[in-house]
Amino acid sequence: MASQLTFTGFAWKNLWRRRLRTLLTLCGISMAIGAYVALVGFSESFEDSWMRLYTSSGTDIAVVEKNFLNTSVNQSLTGKLRAVPVVEQAAPMIFNLMDLTPEVNAIVFGWLDDTYEFNSLTFDSGGKFHNDKPEVILGNLLAKNLNKKVGDTLDMQGSTYTVVGIYHGGTALEAGAVIMPLDQMQILTSTQGKISGFHVRLRPAPAGESADHYLKRAQAQIEAALPGLNAQLASDRASNNQFVDLAHAVAWGTSAIALAMGILGIANTMAMSVFERTREIGILRAIGWKSGRVMLLIEAEAAVLGFAGGVLGIGVGWGSLHLLSLMPKTNAFVSTSLSPTHLLQSMVIAVLSGLVAGAYPAWRGSHLSPVEALRHD
Amino acid sequence: MTDNQAAPQLEVRGLRKTYDDGRIEALRGVDLAIEAGEYIAISGASGSGKSTLLHLLGGLDVPTSGQVLFNGKPLDHIGLDEYRARQLGFIFQAFHLIPTLKAIENVQVPMLATGVDASTRAKRAETLLVEMGLEHRLNQYPNELSAGERQRVAIARALANNPSVLLADEPTGNLDSVNSAHMLVLLTGIQKARGMTLIIVTHENDIANAAPRHIRIRDGRIES
Repeated sequence: MASQLTFTGFAWKNLWRRRLRTLLTLCGISMAIGAYVALVGFSESFEDSWMRLYTSSGTDIAVVEKNFLNTSVNQSLTGKLRAVPVVEQAAPMIFNLMDLTPEVNAIVFGWLDDTYEFNSLTFDSGGKFHNDKPEVILGNLLAKNLNKKVGDTLDMQGSTYTVVGIYHGGTALEAGAVIMPLDQMQILTSTQGKISGFHVRLRPAPAGESADHYLKRAQAQIEAALPGLNAQLASDRASNNQFVDLAHAVAWGTSAIALAMGILGIANTMAMSVFERTREIGILRAIGWKSGRVMLLIEAEAAVLGFAGGVLGIGVGWGSLHLLSLMPKTNAFVSTSLSPTHLLQSMVIAVLSGLVAGAYPAWRGSHLSPVEALRHD
Repeated sequence: MTDNQAAPQLEVRGLRKTYDDGRIEALRGVDLAIEAGEYIAISGASGSGKSTLLHLLGGLDVPTSGQVLFNGKPLDHIGLDEYRARQLGFIFQAFHLIPTLKAIENVQVPMLATGVDASTRAKRAETLLVEMGLEHRLNQYPNELSAGERQRVAIARALANNPSVLLADEPTGNLDSVNSAHMLVLLTGIQKARGMTLIIVTHENDIANAAPRHIRIRDGRIES
């Protein structure tokens, strides 16, 4: 059967003639897409982990000051909050980020031993701690990293705590955390009487009132009862806290730089390719190819580079996340799960990067004078 | 009978082409009419303007002044790309095949511009290469072909969209005498069989004199 030449086949053959250059360009764009996949994937899964932290415990509203990391809310407001009619449970809490060992970081939570948030934890061994006692419970991932089991002790900033339980975390964030009595955490961080905020579970919405309306009403009631504090929906808190904002900013910033470099790599390859094929472009124009078709051919080549770079980049990104998830310093914050939406976004960005990178070389190639192009050496 | 039917197939009127802001005059007012089905040789010394005339006839370049008409219509009214794609076949001295494509794929390239479907493209390319005696070389790359074979692939490519005019710029310039003779027989055979207009630019007197109509160009003007 006679060999059929297709437009995309022609584009691919043009790329494949300079295999080394094409492969090196692919490496560049795949590293850029890999960085995007890994970093943005990480920041999105980080946000998702925060969300699950709230939803798994049944928290509807977080009551905090504006600064997420401050531990400056008076614990004495607990009674006032619990007296708000819509509030079913109000749990004062502290959280902080600590270096447990030079290699292991963890989020440390301070809870009361009767908080409703224990209901969502499943213990692999042991059980919950008791107020006023130097006890901690560890997420299973952290316990594994630290090689701790129930009955062992854990040193944190000069104080020693007994591990009384190992719980199963639904997310890397939960599984990599330490939870300890609120009073012990206040002593440890010299914040007696102060908390980071309250986690609130609301009473069921009255019949006939929509969930949205009820949540807004509850926010208003809580803020009226506790002037100066913000009652934020758990979903807003998960996506708008400073940890997540920082993760998003770093991810997008670094990815943007990597993508810019990848785009420059493709642009350089395409510009060189167009220059080298000046005479061929002249031939195509001479045999009737319109300038738009020449432009389309060069853009198709750039898009193929982008697409292939995207496929490879997803592999690179997933591999990077997998490596990070194996490292004790980072595994508490990293998930290897990548959403289909994120993968689709990555492919769209990869192909768009190719198209942007190919735009100028394509324009230049398509505007060559056929006669001048044919004379080109 | 309309004006267009009465008009020559190709006509140039007062054609001038200058370069370098007018300092170089390649063509200095050329008038020429070519009827459909003619076989014409254009000859002249290097720099005489013969290739410039061919490029202007082929819509590869635009004149500084004057007009090129195809069937009575100025080329810019037809559209240069459309004109080159559907009415013309180009044959170049250096063959200008695309090195990454097989012979049969090279012949299909012009058809990508005219919307011919993939299977028809492949079949037509195969038919043309068989016609050129290259049935055993369909899947060879240009660097695997002899000079004569490459030029035959280039001719097949020029015929791909069934043009009415074949323009050949020094088609035997890179061939030895035996292959040159074969090439001329092939081109004139195609011209007669298909009733096409064949315009050959050459600096070789033997080839020019063999054509029924011979136009000599000197210093940008038609001499005879």
